[in-house]
Amino acid sequence: MAGLTFSSETRGQFSAVARVRWQLFLNSMRTIRGRMEIVARVFTFLAFGMGGIVGSIAIGFTAWYFVYSGRADWLPVLLWPVFLFWQFVPVMASAFTENVDSSNLLRFPLTFPCYFLIRIAYGSLDPPTLMSSLWLLGMSIGIACASPLLFVPAAAVLLLFAIFNILLARMLFTWMERWLAQRRAREILGMLFLFMVIGFQFIAPLLRHFGNRSQPAVSRVALQALPIERLTPPGLAGEIIAHSLRGEYPLALGWFALFGAYTLAVLWLLNLRLRAQYRGENLSEALARTAAPMAKQQIRPGWNIPGVSGAVSAVLEKEIHYLSRSGPTLFTLVMPVVVLLIFRFSPGKTDGAGGLLSHAFDLAFPVGAAYTLLILTNLVYNSFGADAAGIQFYFVSPLRFREILLGKNLTHSLLLVIEMVLVWAGASLLYRPPPWDIVLATLTGVFFALVVNLTAGNVLSVYTPKKVDLAALGRQRASQVTALVSLGIQAAVLGLCALAILLARAYHHLWLAAIIFAALAAIAIVIYFLVLKRLDSIVLQRREAMITELCRA
Amino acid sequence: MSTSATIAAPAISTEHLTRRFGDLVAVQDVNLRVAPGQFFGFLGPNGAGKSTTIKMLTGLLAPSSGRMQILGIELTQDSVAVKRQIGVVPEGMALFGRLTGSEYLNFVGRMYGLDRVTAAKRTAELLDFMQLVDQPKALVTDYSHGMQKKLALAAAVIHGPKILFLDEPFEGVDAIASNTLKSMLQNMISRGATIFLTSHVLEIVERLCSHVAIIHCGQLVAQGSLEELRAGVEAQAAAALTAAGAPHEIDAPAPAPGAKLTLEQIFLRIVGGTRRADQELSWLG
Repeated sequence: MAGLTFSSETRGQFSAVARVRWQLFLNSMRTIRGRMEIVARVFTFLAFGMGGIVGSIAIGFTAWYFVYSGRADWLPVLLWPVFLFWQFVPVMASAFTENVDSSNLLRFPLTFPCYFLIRIAYGSLDPPTLMSSLWLLGMSIGIACASPLLFVPAAAVLLLFAIFNILLARMLFTWMERWLAQRRAREILGMLFLFMVIGFQFIAPLLRHFGNRSQPAVSRVALQALPIERLTPPGLAGEIIAHSLRGEYPLALGWFALFGAYTLAVLWLLNLRLRAQYRGENLSEALARTAAPMAKQQIRPGWNIPGVSGAVSAVLEKEIHYLSRSGPTLFTLVMPVVVLLIFRFSPGKTDGAGGLLSHAFDLAFPVGAAYTLLILTNLVYNSFGADAAGIQFYFVSPLRFREILLGKNLTHSLLLVIEMVLVWAGASLLYRPPPWDIVLATLTGVFFALVVNLTAGNVLSVYTPKKVDLAALGRQRASQVTALVSLGIQAAVLGLCALAILLARAYHHLWLAAIIFAALAAIAIVIYFLVLKRLDSIVLQRREAMITELCRA
Repeated sequence: MSTSATIAAPAISTEHLTRRFGDLVAVQDVNLRVAPGQFFGFLGPNGAGKSTTIKMLTGLLAPSSGRMQILGIELTQDSVAVKRQIGVVPEGMALFGRLTGSEYLNFVGRMYGLDRVTAAKRTAELLDFMQLVDQPKALVTDYSHGMQKKLALAAAVIHGPKILFLDEPFEGVDAIASNTLKSMLQNMISRGATIFLTSHVLEIVERLCSHVAIIHCGQLVAQGSLEELRAGVEAQAAAALTAAGAPHEIDAPAPAPGAKLTLEQIFLRIVGGTRRADQELSWLG
């Protein structure tokens, strides 16, 4: 990092990068969609800000308590979550986004120190870094309140801890960059993140399950791991503060020097990667691919689904290929069963078995079915979202849009059928098989809801399409208008269904609900086909708006 | 400018084709005639209205006014019948990124009404012809730009169209692939198909196309065979010379003595010449 001087050229480059980012921000507000995105981002930052402030107060108070009560050794308990959050969240979040290709900067005459600083700055202003910094600030204040003399050493250690974390996060990111440059790797990382999210849902139930039993083996392992933990960055930071509190300054300085060495080592590793990139190593998506070995392709004929035309079969086959390659969608599809599992292990009103549905086992199937309808919303109400530029093909092909939509609707119906089987199996295994009248009422209710959703979904797919990426997390949301309208429709349909089921249940004649749903479904089917017939002319009127939205970069 | 001799039953014809975007008239009163079997180049500077015209001709964009007939069928009256007869490589290539190349071609074949076995057979042949067989499991989204172009072209011809519309087909395609595509297109022409293409690469258009139309600021300013356009430009230059009585300064490169005007020279003379490099950017090395 020698030669870190800021010439006028370097200052100009810094200011140009800052200006271009600001300009990009301003330009993004030119469209209504861009302005809405920014409003959404403001809310996200507010949420992170609140998390930062509330977390800062909580951590500050806990740190105060540890130091005040002479338990400074326990400070790593606070530092570990900060450390893990700081390191894992930005890397995981990268799975949600396309990564900035640093080679874009390298075509300019940047010096290496300038490039280095820009790369550090790019990643250091993200919400996790800001939140973690706020938490460390709260911790310093808490320690200073408990022991004013400890403020300077604590602030110095926590500052070093912050620098270490910033450098480590960037270092991990740059080393992972080649891997992340590949779409498949980003998808795998995204899936790991999602499984982690699911895993969190089970922590509380599992703790309750195992918490009351003594676990001697776990305690033994924890005791053996403690000396090693002291050598980790959070452990070291805690040790330094604890030694300072006890007045053992030489020891504290020794540990501080070790921590400084860790930081330098991370800086060196980061420097290695960035220098390689600076010398021209390109990690962009296009170059990350390697040539696959030559292999003669076996082309098998497409699917032939009885009762529908070849084109509708082809659309269904294409949709299934798309869904089967979408990790986030597959994840969403297992959620109804996961929700039943969570309900099963969550505490009910009494401590008996059955969790949240302990007093209404028979509602497990309807609840799972209702949840299934909700998770299909994004697919049904934005049918063309994943087609992106492929929408042009539909417009140049000799097909009526009603056939294309029929293929898509069949796919979504097929998904729902599979989901219903899974939910039924889940409800039967976790609780008990639902009675036949509940099954009948639920199935007819779901069928009615499906037809209503498909009808409204087809219309909204044409009027308010939004390009989505089925492979990337967080990029599958339909447009704001679609979200609002679909929410209203779902609320009305599910409300109606719930009302009918509860009423019929109160009168102990659940088959009555099934009859009501069957009648409603019959009306809905007529409307569905009437709308489908009209859609060809609507699509022609809307084609420019659809192509513009779905083909946008 | 001269026009082609009257052709009975044109493959493509438009009458007063106009498209407005708010106050902007992107295409105005375009009257095109493309005879069956022609290799037709549709040229124009950036923003002249080429893509807008090709989008209207292929059903991707509605015209504000005017008529379009493809193979004698009114496009707005029976678009499905027209689309069965045409193949299109639009500007965005119309690919489905999350399919493999073979899945995509199979899908397109089925959508054009081919039976399963024929679609699979043609898919294999096209992948082989386009040299796309070495990445059987790669998704289209992971293809290079050139590979995507080849795949889009394969998809456009899988049903054996009578007319092929190509928007910048050679953009981003390497020399080997470009050669493959050119020979395929010439084979199609020799079998009676009509090809309508837009391109900025005038050398390719000159080599491939028998007929050319030039659109400038939304208006058709020239249409005819290359020879007709050349004769028209030369006649115009001669007329200007006679009127001025002295060599007229034209902002376009002149042909070498005795040589024919190239398409680039014709194009530049029609749409308005070049900048004089010695007048501007004097600081350039």
